[in-house]
Amino acid sequence: MTERTPANRRFFAFDLDSTEGEQAGLNGYTIEQLSDYLDRNRMPADPGIDDSPDCEIALRGLERLRRAQRSLLEQDLERESRRDDSWVSSILNNITLEAHAGREIPLAHPSPIARLVVTEGAVRGMLRETGDRMQNVFVGRCVLVGDVSVPGAPISIRVDVTVFPGENIPRLADQLRDAMYATLSKYTELVVVAIDITVSDLHSLPDASAHEQEK
Amino acid sequence: MTTDVSSFDQLDALVRRVPGVAALYPAGSMVATVVTATLDAVAHRAPAAPLVHIEQRADGVRVTARIGIGATKSSGDVSGRVHDVIAAHLEQGGNPPVVQIVVIVASVWLNV
Repeated sequence: MTERTPANRRFFAFDLDSTEGEQAGLNGYTIEQLSDYLDRNRMPADPGIDDSPDCEIALRGLERLRRAQRSLLEQDLERESRRDDSWVSSILNNITLEAHAGREIPLAHPSPIARLVVTEGAVRGMLRETGDRMQNVFVGRCVLVGDVSVPGAPISIRVDVTVFPGENIPRLADQLRDAMYATLSKYTELVVVAIDITVSDLHSLPDASAHEQEK
Repeated sequence: MTTDVSSFDQLDALVRRVPGVAALYPAGSMVATVVTATLDAVAHRAPAAPLVHIEQRADGVRVTARIGIGATKSSGDVSGRVHDVIAAHLEQGGNPPVVQIVVIVASVWLNV
């Protein structure tokens, strides 16, 4: 079951560096190694990567990030990106951190011998993908707050996003929140009482007059 | 009690055939799995170790399956069906009692 975030709590700031501070490898691989693997079109096949759901989640995040970067270039925003590409490195760090399996989130089943779970990493991965599939937004960080391992316990989601030009931010946040609620309802049994969205990076179109002066 | 090992060998194929299962990952020890998979790849041979993990204990068998699912069905639906398929298969004669079936949804493929 999910509930709507109260209007006065729809934007919520949090410290991006306060949780999971250390950067660990993914099944023994670094994000750079996974990036190289993508560059090689996943050849030769590496079972250590291919058999790891954590690596798979990270690889899909990397692919979406690359598509977003290509889209920026196509929109003639490359100069803006060159000035400050910290958002890219920040997202790379978060992909690494959040692809880890993390906690186990229970799923109900009537059999007494059944123990069904979805991993926290899978949930973060699908929330990230839900956001990345929307136009002009890219998910930077996604945190599940609360005891997700207890069935029925209320939890909240904290998300920070990068927004690209052409969107009304409050409307975009509402659309993102609705999409995430829908995803959580379908793939988890979490009781989500709030999805708090912070726009942590805003990329604007280059100033046309400045562009002319540079020529 | 004699254990029908061949019935365990069929679990990978049974789980893969469950509607909504998009991937089946190794559920055993990660180190052992990676070493085995790497040796298999180097030797260009079919994977030797089953992906569905079977742990035989004094009181019975504990089974663990780690799956990725596609977008069309819910996690609860797919993982429940995987549990049911494993339970039904192992209820067949000759197998030790099953004390636990663990199904872990480790990834969700929204674009599948």
